[in-house]
Amino acid sequence: MSAVIEPAVAISEVKRQRTQQPRRIKKTHGTAVISFATLIGLLALWIIATKYHFASALFLPSPSDVAVQAVAVASEGYANGTLLDHILASLGRIGVALAFGIGLGIPVGLLMGLNRWAKGILGVPIDIYWGLPPLAYLPLMIIWLGIGEASKIVLLSLAAFAPICFAAQAGVRSVPQERINAARSLGATSYQVFTSIIFPSALPEIFTGVRIAIGATLSTLVAAELIAAQSGVGYMIMSAANFLATDVVFVGLIVIAIFAFAFATGMRFLENRIAPWKGKL
Amino acid sequence: MLSIRNATVKFEAADGTEIHALDRVSFDIPPDSIVVALGASGCGKSTLLNAIAGFQSLTEGQILIDGLPVDKPGGDRGVVFQKDTLLPWSNVLDNVALGLRYRGVPKLERYRQARELLQLVGLSDFETKPPYELSGGMRQRVGIARALATDPKILLMDEPFGALDSLTRENMQQLLATVWAKTRKQVFFITHSIEEALALGTHILVMSPRPGRIVARYEADFVRTFAATGDLGPILSHPRFVSLREEIRSIIHTPASHNERHAA
Repeated sequence: MSAVIEPAVAISEVKRQRTQQPRRIKKTHGTAVISFATLIGLLALWIIATKYHFASALFLPSPSDVAVQAVAVASEGYANGTLLDHILASLGRIGVALAFGIGLGIPVGLLMGLNRWAKGILGVPIDIYWGLPPLAYLPLMIIWLGIGEASKIVLLSLAAFAPICFAAQAGVRSVPQERINAARSLGATSYQVFTSIIFPSALPEIFTGVRIAIGATLSTLVAAELIAAQSGVGYMIMSAANFLATDVVFVGLIVIAIFAFAFATGMRFLENRIAPWKGKL
Repeated sequence: MLSIRNATVKFEAADGTEIHALDRVSFDIPPDSIVVALGASGCGKSTLLNAIAGFQSLTEGQILIDGLPVDKPGGDRGVVFQKDTLLPWSNVLDNVALGLRYRGVPKLERYRQARELLQLVGLSDFETKPPYELSGGMRQRVGIARALATDPKILLMDEPFGALDSLTRENMQQLLATVWAKTRKQVFFITHSIEEALALGTHILVMSPRPGRIVARYEADFVRTFAATGDLGPILSHPRFVSLREEIRSIIHTPASHNERHAA
């Protein structure tokens, strides 16, 4: 019995895992095909419903009407701006808010996870405002900061901040104590324990937080634009609804759906690149 | 030499009762030895290891390395944990080199040393793999290499093979015997397996629970034969091994054996 035997056994284990992987990938491909077919089916239902006038065009415009309107909105514009203007206005607000949310949420959350005092003091205001629906304090933001961009940016930043902050905290608390002990017994300083163990261990949780923050920001954004804005996709939808331009409403909804899908895909890509070990070990 | 003097640890449990995890435990870990703490769960053996590692402070008593007291973790005591604690975002080589990175050893030099250790534990072909692609036994090999990388005086091992299947476990025991014979490290090893304790220990401390204390001490030298021959079979059936095994078994299964016994 020699020490060489065990690695050999393990090699075959590694190989077995590898040969299993293609089958799993094939299965996820299968799911994608089913999802795509469902999408086509929904589109077909939509075409049939409008073609045979199950609903009036006022309630359900046909896909071709929506497409024509999309081109018109894109080239000629609607409600003080082209489609691109509205998209850029909305994306700009999301971008700035996420930058604030990530830039403040991660360090504050890490600090709260590491330090009892920070958690005790900062936890109270965050818990209070996070319990409130953002639209409930939007009027207050408008009174304080005016109707301009500042009130919307602050509102969205608050919506993005809390989930990221909570996630970073949870990430710190979920670091296995043994992993920290191992680093300390290898001679790590407190700073090295933080940079080499705690922060990377918390990364997958932080990603989850950012994904939740994107969802929260997106829904708050559209709602805020519906109420108080002169530009943005939400404003465009509201303006169109006032004139019963249902086809423009559909254009806006499709744009928002594409936003959401693009953000989710982008996050998944980033997560696979930066924290591929998530859920393993 | 590492000395444990009157080590006592008391906790307060969640319900307010006091738990006496360790009670006046004293022993030495002399050079060129494998000291094994053997006992059922709850006998304080993990608390003892955590105290030596510096993760757990003593209520009373002292831990001395070459006469100087220690109370926090350090690179002079390498730890191998029961559940591997490798970093999933680093490959095998970077995991082994971690302690050297903490010390600021330049990259090329720490990789050179890490490769030597990977060769020692038989994992040279796996240096670029992430830990989650390795089997449990291989991960513990990486853990041993990582603990050896800082060139500690003593290796502390907390039931390192407890979670492995019996075949892998025997290979790992043999690896440890070989590594010990080659590196001449002092080893403090925790187990609840009497056979593992006898096969690997030069000194065996039998512990009893509540309060955790040493109830018997044995010396053995089966590990030298094991390291030299690499074959556990003949050792397991050796008459002296069998008689010691039965003796220790009777001590562990006798409740409240308070008399500390000494055997040669």
